[in-house]
Amino acid sequence: MKGTAIVPIQRRRAAAAVAAARPHPDFEALVAAHSAAIFAYLWRLLRDTADAEDCLQDAFLRAYRAYGRLDGHPSPQAWLYRIATNVARTRLKQRAREAVRTAALDPELVAAGPGPAEQVSQKLERAAVAAAVDALPHQQRAALILRQYQGLPYDEIALILECSPAAARANVYQALKKLRLEVGGQRSEVGR
Amino acid sequence: MSNQLKTALDALYAAGPGPAATARAQQRLRRALAAQASTAAPAHASAEVWYDVLARSAIGPVFVGVTARGLRAVRFGLSERQFVEALRRETHARPVRSAARAGAAARQMGEYLAGRRTAFDLPVDLSAMTDFQQQVLQAACRIPRGQVLTYSELARQIGRPKAARAVGQALGSNPVPIVVPCHRVLAADGSLRGYSGGGGIATKERLLRLEGWQKAVGSRQ
Repeated sequence: MKGTAIVPIQRRRAAAAVAAARPHPDFEALVAAHSAAIFAYLWRLLRDTADAEDCLQDAFLRAYRAYGRLDGHPSPQAWLYRIATNVARTRLKQRAREAVRTAALDPELVAAGPGPAEQVSQKLERAAVAAAVDALPHQQRAALILRQYQGLPYDEIALILECSPAAARANVYQALKKLRLEVGGQRSEVGR
Repeated sequence: MSNQLKTALDALYAAGPGPAATARAQQRLRRALAAQASTAAPAHASAEVWYDVLARSAIGPVFVGVTARGLRAVRFGLSERQFVEALRRETHARPVRSAARAGAAARQMGEYLAGRRTAFDLPVDLSAMTDFQQQVLQAACRIPRGQVLTYSELARQIGRPKAARAVGQALGSNPVPIVVPCHRVLAADGSLRGYSGGGGIATKERLLRLEGWQKAVGSRQ
């Protein structure tokens, strides 16, 4: 269990650093604990509420069917996020194959920030960043959102993306590097 | 990252889907899972429960009940008939005495109470507990043998600093005392306050002493 106080290991077989028994997590407990965060994650990856709802269901149904294999996994949270990441990847690939999406963003997704008086340049910039995020490799996009908006530590992200913590860090770095170019590029265009 | 990039990304992502969309999505999810559960074979139903008894120990006979998922009940200070009746009521199953199924749990309990074992090596079935109760009981599992926590400290640990009383109630609902060490939780002034595991406070103190906890040193090591 994460966050367990380290106790002197009395028996060699005590793999988890817990002094007593290992409770079985109920699947409903997992849903209650993680469904809101996983929904927010899918929403950020997909930038579409309906798609995010569908993928949330898909992800948890897969998790339910695979639940018997969860025992001993170091982090049920990471396991759920991994399933969600893969479901989102499939959906995004599917979307890319369908008709070209228009440049308009889902109105629900536009921040409550500046409102009607918003600068045109800001709108353009956001559209450019959104497009740039769409253009990122899935692994980089997922790493960025997991780190910056789901607030997860790198060793958890490593479990989710099935890479090393160093690779997870590199993915975030690469994502930001590419996005920074896009934001910088937009700016110079508007300034002209 | 640059301020400009951060602002642009935050505009896209920081707010999240919002509580209304989240509630809707979760409701749909619950319905989908319920539909799945009712059509599929009951993955988590506890159809059978077995039990055994540790005939003699420092606290008298100890009964253990076990499901396919793990240890489901620990009771002492009552008769076999009373234990079976309680187990039947709680699990809606017909308890069957089985040394094959429940003997290991009884054996480990015996070793533990005799001081020949310091940690249990058993899966535990807390599936009948609420989310909050499971949170509390899992937190109790993290208290090392020989140490104690106060109700408030445990409440803080699970991110519910104002819930010390609810924590006490949740611990009182522990279906597997001794194995899940609710006895390692005390009141802030170091007093034992209560123990619903059978035998009352005297048993709580006995278990703590068995584990090497020193009262004189104060409530925390």
